Amino acid sequence: MEIGPREKVGTLLNSFRSPQRIALIGGTSEIGNAVIAALPQGAITEVIKISRANSNFNVASALNRTETVRALFTQDLDLAVIAIGTLGNDGDLSEDANLLNMMDVNYVATAHLLSLLASEMKKQRHGQILIISSFAQERPRIDNFGYGSTKAAIDFYARGLSDSLINSGVQVKILRPGFVRTKMTVGMKPAPFNIDPERAGVIGANLLQSDSKIAYAPNLLKIVAWVFRHLPEKIFLKISKA
Amino acid sequence: MPPDFSPSSGWGRSIQSTSLRAVDSIEEMQEKLVNLEGHRGALPIGLQRSYGDSALNSGGVQFSTEKLQEWNLDRETGEIRVGAGVSIRQLESIALDQGFFPAIVPGTGFVTIGGAIAADIHGKSHHKTGSFSSIVKSMQVLYSDGVIRELYPDGPTSAHFWATVAGMGLTGIIVNAELQLKRISGNYFDVRESRCADLSILLAELRSADSEYDHTVAWVDLSGEFRGRGVVGMGNFATDRDEKFGLKSRSINIPITFNKSLITPLTVKSFNSFWYHKPLKSGKLSINAFTHPLDGIGSWNRVYGKRGFLQYQFSIPDGHEDFLFTVLSKLREIKGASFLGVLKRFGSASRAPLSFPSPGWTLALDFPIGIPRLEATLTEFDQELCQRGGRIYLVKDSRLKPDFLPKMYQRSEEWKTVRAQMDPGNKWKSDQGRRLGLC
Repeated sequence: MEIGPREKVGTLLNSFRSPQRIALIGGTSEIGNAVIAALPQGAITEVIKISRANSNFNVASALNRTETVRALFTQDLDLAVIAIGTLGNDGDLSEDANLLNMMDVNYVATAHLLSLLASEMKKQRHGQILIISSFAQERPRIDNFGYGSTKAAIDFYARGLSDSLINSGVQVKILRPGFVRTKMTVGMKPAPFNIDPERAGVIGANLLQSDSKIAYAPNLLKIVAWVFRHLPEKIFLKISKA
Repeated sequence: MPPDFSPSSGWGRSIQSTSLRAVDSIEEMQEKLVNLEGHRGALPIGLQRSYGDSALNSGGVQFSTEKLQEWNLDRETGEIRVGAGVSIRQLESIALDQGFFPAIVPGTGFVTIGGAIAADIHGKSHHKTGSFSSIVKSMQVLYSDGVIRELYPDGPTSAHFWATVAGMGLTGIIVNAELQLKRISGNYFDVRESRCADLSILLAELRSADSEYDHTVAWVDLSGEFRGRGVVGMGNFATDRDEKFGLKSRSINIPITFNKSLITPLTVKSFNSFWYHKPLKSGKLSINAFTHPLDGIGSWNRVYGKRGFLQYQFSIPDGHEDFLFTVLSKLREIKGASFLGVLKRFGSASRAPLSFPSPGWTLALDFPIGIPRLEATLTEFDQELCQRGGRIYLVKDSRLKPDFLPKMYQRSEEWKTVRAQMDPGNKWKSDQGRRLGLC
């Protein structure tokens, strides 16, 4: 039956919104794997995990990214989770090549992958893409504004892309975790509201099944984020230095 | 988004998809088919009353059969050549005017002849008449090469004929079909209903009703205690006319989609209790009220809310009645109350490899999406069905996993081989076909 103009067009999955064929770009990501583990498993027929080790995936190469994504679409792909990214603390570009690399991976490569996936999914007119942004993108903090800027950039791009895809059948979803206790954060002092990757996975999976575009992990960070954005500069600086 | 791509969903409204919908004449379809580009293919659609993704083709073309409305009835023999876009309701009306009726009609009149063949639908008369294909004498099918071929159930074209029957639109566009109508002298049904306190009694009652009545079906209460109590409805065509009855029927319409489903264990239990205790029908009943009870409420699928619902209809051979009891107890465990439980006995199967009905029992259940553990429970049922020689009905399906398909439809490979001959370019595509590996 025809759908009225006011109704939102979802992605094509089964009745339970369970994806069948899934790709995880960043195949070793703990959050990425946790999202997939938390999805309804009933319909899944294939999970393709793409990483440097098993797929000759080279995140730094635009050509390699293009070929990697194209190769995924021999059949319909219902869900792609992009879970690549590096973490760093330093905001000093003159000193730190790691930060330049982080900008390349977290923003340039991720945005490129997002765009490639969206364009392939537009042809099949269905599909979901999940990217992992961060709570750090909410407001620049002295201790991680370099990293935060990469996440703010990809978050901004993903939101714009998501809006541009309304009624195309393709959805872009954004997960904004706070501090997640993964191997990437080993040795770091856990920030307040820290969670384990499994919890982040459940929130990511729920986001994919919902009509929302963005979710925080834990959910409570949504309120914290609002407060963060609206705190007067003086108070925010104090917190930021701490 | 180009304006010609439009979203649609199946009757269950739980899966949506965006396609290029074309309402074309046969000549226009032929031209488009020959020039079809890309991998998303094309799919014929009728009134889209299939529940899941059988009539969806995301990113591809949907050829509506809306314009295929011609018909020509031989008043002597009751043979009618009818366009694929004509609905069962229209066919009934055409036939009744001349003292005929299709021997097989489904629970809703809002399906097209093309859809009825493509799903090899059944009705309350299955135990006597078999499925819809048993009244199809021939059909014209538009192949993906743009050529129209006439297919017959027997002879050199029979393989293509039976692959198109229950072929879910994946072998070609049914342009028209020649059907054999049944001559009738009455214009209403003589009906009787019988109330049964649990599933064992209900099964026995249905068995005995089948010998006496041409049309039988049981409504099962799947709520509360889940004991499977219900009401068996039985009917025969009357042999005389009563001018009080015509095909006309009053109907109301559900005008809006509710945000949340109105179907909850509590509402189902209350409604079912009322339905079970309502006065039993006996005597004369109009054809519409008996054959298409749900058509009295337009867009009734909207009561299931924004996320929609799914229908789970399976068949199971005789001797496996215990599975029906298992279903009841498992549904009770997950509080999976079903608003519509329909139980029926099937007669013999048709020759089509993908045809659903096979001798034994069939049970159809409606569930709102969102019942916890429903997906896993239905998958358990699927597994059991595979072991017991049962299967689920593809035109209702919106969730089956592809590996179950060949176990339920053991001739699916044979069907795929014939399909490959009919459509070497693999142009016919549907979302369900992609999901289940049929195309």
